[in-house]
Amino acid sequence: MIKFENVYKTLGQTRVLEGFSFHAERGKILCLVGPSGCGKTTILQMLAGLEQPDAGRIDGKDGLRVSYVFQEPRLLLWKTVAGNIDFVLRDAVIPARRKELIDKYLSLMGLYEYRDSYPKALSGGMKQRLALCRAFAFPHDLLLLDEPFKSLDMPLRLGLVRQVAKMWRETPRTIVFVTHDIMEALLLGHRIVVLSARPTTVLDTVDLNIPFKKRNVGREPLPSHYARMLSLLEAEIMKSLPNL
Amino acid sequence: MKNSIFLIRGLPPLFGLAAFLAIWQVISGFYSHVITPSPVEVAQTLLTLAADGQLWEQSRHSILRGLVGFGLAVAAGTPLGLLIGMNPVAASLLRPLVVVLQVTPLISWLLLAMIWIGFTKVPVFVVFVTTLPLIVINTFQGVKSIDGQLLQMSEIYRISKPRVIREIYLPQVAPYLMAGVSNALGVTWKAVAMAEFLSVQQGIGASMAVARINLETAALFAWTLFLIGLGLVTDRLLAYLTNRKLKHWM
Repeated sequence: MIKFENVYKTLGQTRVLEGFSFHAERGKILCLVGPSGCGKTTILQMLAGLEQPDAGRIDGKDGLRVSYVFQEPRLLLWKTVAGNIDFVLRDAVIPARRKELIDKYLSLMGLYEYRDSYPKALSGGMKQRLALCRAFAFPHDLLLLDEPFKSLDMPLRLGLVRQVAKMWRETPRTIVFVTHDIMEALLLGHRIVVLSARPTTVLDTVDLNIPFKKRNVGREPLPSHYARMLSLLEAEIMKSLPNL
Repeated sequence: MKNSIFLIRGLPPLFGLAAFLAIWQVISGFYSHVITPSPVEVAQTLLTLAADGQLWEQSRHSILRGLVGFGLAVAAGTPLGLLIGMNPVAASLLRPLVVVLQVTPLISWLLLAMIWIGFTKVPVFVVFVTTLPLIVINTFQGVKSIDGQLLQMSEIYRISKPRVIREIYLPQVAPYLMAGVSNALGVTWKAVAMAEFLSVQQGIGASMAVARINLETAALFAWTLFLIGLGLVTDRLLAYLTNRKLKHWM
């Protein structure tokens, strides 16, 4: 279990977290939903060890091998599609297994036929899919997803969410998935935590024990969760807008 | 289609060149051939030099010296530029020295080298010290342009430092380095001829020194043309090789 206990963090002049606590269960998918700029990325960077808390404790993350999908694809433009995955596997996986892993995840994300192309030839959505392949192929204990579908259109987003669920089912590992899209969270999370605007607090926590296959945007309890979370987030946003 | 566009685009420069040669020919009629040899005379001299083997015999010394000095500068300048770019302590220690190196007049290096290391090695040394700062500064500029997001990604995926240098730094530095290499190559042939002129008995610069003493102005022109040609050919060759390597992602 990964645990944030009473964590404080200030970035520049901005107090991002003030006594923030939550935990992510091992081998499960935790979704953090919150308004833009609420500190979601900071939480992920702390989990990855890229940022340290000013005060408080983060337990259970030491020694974990981390895969990270950033908001941007962060690809090496001078390597081929397959080469970009091989880049992270080279020191972590024996050669015989590398090609197998690369082919498997490229197929799952519909990129197999592009394996010898360069990223320049890919669309924005394909680049982000390649970043997902890279993260899944790397042998990890913890997968951090920072709004990876942000710039994609709705149908593709839902499709990729389903694909991520499939890949998780094959090898269930801890995932912390940050998004501002409630629907993505409801389709993918075992636990969904709704966050407030800065300084971040927990507004709502929902545990969903429905198998991914049976989750449907039109079928209860997803619509009622959706409505409640949306109104919570709307109320958060209204606080920062002038009252006319 | 593509060929015809190339032909049309190639016409104005050819026309310009023809006009230049015509004016040169006319002007040369007014003066003695010691002052202004005609283009025809220069071409004849160049052909004679090629025919009696002098062109190759002299230029092979210059080309070898140029390539050795230039090669050493690239071999030393690239790691030095990387070091200055990546290490703040190295940067504050070495950057001023590189700038001093860059602004030191060529003639000072030439004369000092004759005193320090003897005449025969002067051309190689002069090429080395004049091209080294170009390589270092361009490599350093390249390092400054490195994408920090990719370094963070490499850190997450636990890529080893040598691999980060090879696979993240070098490819991003490459376009800058190649610009530096191209500049340096341009300087190389000028520097080697200049150094040979003052220091040695063989090579293009030495042949120009002899031509000057004998008032063989046509030979001076011929060697100059050869140096220009050498610069152009090596520059195009480098551009071709660079493009072949970088075309996938630039």
